[in-house]
Amino acid sequence: MKRHHATALAVSVLALAAAAAASVRFLDHRRPEPLLPGPGVSEVRLLSQWLPDLAGSPGDTEVYVFRGTVPGSSMLVLGGTHPNEPSSFLSAVLLIENAKAVSGTLYVIPRANASGFTHNDPQEGAPEKYSIALPDGSKRTFRYGSRATNPVHQWPDPDVYVHAASGQTLSGNETRNLNRGYPGRADGTLTERVCLGIASLIRAEKIDITIDLHEASPEYPVINAIVAHERAMPLASQVVLGLEFLDVKIGLEPSPKKLRGLSHRELGDATDTLAVLMETANPSQGRLRGRTDEALVLTGRDPYYVKAQKLGRLYVPFDEKGHPIQERVARHLAGISEFAFALSSERPDRPLELSGVPEYPELIEKGLGAFLKPLP
Amino acid sequence: MTYLYLAIAACMLALTVWNLWTEKDWRKQASAAMVAIPLLLRVLMIK
Repeated sequence: MKRHHATALAVSVLALAAAAAASVRFLDHRRPEPLLPGPGVSEVRLLSQWLPDLAGSPGDTEVYVFRGTVPGSSMLVLGGTHPNEPSSFLSAVLLIENAKAVSGTLYVIPRANASGFTHNDPQEGAPEKYSIALPDGSKRTFRYGSRATNPVHQWPDPDVYVHAASGQTLSGNETRNLNRGYPGRADGTLTERVCLGIASLIRAEKIDITIDLHEASPEYPVINAIVAHERAMPLASQVVLGLEFLDVKIGLEPSPKKLRGLSHRELGDATDTLAVLMETANPSQGRLRGRTDEALVLTGRDPYYVKAQKLGRLYVPFDEKGHPIQERVARHLAGISEFAFALSSERPDRPLELSGVPEYPELIEKGLGAFLKPLP
Repeated sequence: MTYLYLAIAACMLALTVWNLWTEKDWRKQASAAMVAIPLLLRVLMIK
């Protein structure tokens, strides 16, 4: 064997070993962590039951259904539209493991963009996972995903993303953003078909209100806010007042009519649902953040954001206490409870009554672990 | 379109491996090996 063939063999073996080691970790991302449905879950369905074309695809995802004993209004909660916004996913998990519907029907999709949970955003330094301690000493570990669909499942990106329904153009990578693809289309990309699946569910089940849960960086103007379609504005106004009684300050923004593809705009226009989106403050997404790790995701503390606050650069209060995950989840769950209450007040003949949803003060006091079930 | 891009990635991988085995400078061989890793992961649709 020639000398350079020997070195070629050696570096090839090393490269294959590195590729194998990386593959194990990348493939591990594709295994969803178990969720433990509570007694309120009546059935677990798949989104493909509303759009059969999704069956077997990486876009198919679980839909948890809570049916009350009394008929009433219906609500759809979308968690994990952006899998790098953990309070969105965790709020859905806490509903699945704790909530019950007394009247009406609640639908919860914890991983709206299931593909986005199977990878990380490159060059963001985000942790692969984060863990939450439970009172019994065990812990639950969850994936920190990407904002967008996995490129392995939808590739290549176009140079320019054209929103099919409006012709609006955006950066090419937005083609994998679930919250730019509504109302979706049958012959579109995987992301657009997931959007269509969600819209099909809303139409078929006559969902009265759809709440899309998100997080945003503290320097983003729309934060600690509800964004509401114009038909949902009266209801959202009541929710803002209701949250004020809990001392939860939240803004109310109208859904822009010219920014297309977003859930609060397209689902409100294309279906009969009242479409709203809620945002909390997550410094681990921001461009001003320092070290990006599991601690930042969970504690929401970052000295650079404290400095930015002092310089008047943020749209949300920010001090050394940060915005911990329990506060962000508590805001979402309080908003969901208030929307159910406001909807029931408006439609007393068709109430949507939820029980078991962790309340704002107890979540702040006890933390998320107190409301998560230990793994068997 | 996906299959076209996969074919391009597979060609790039083949050329990189060919370069690795014909190159006589071990440093350039090591560079080629590192370039091959992400190409291989994409051709196998792992990453």
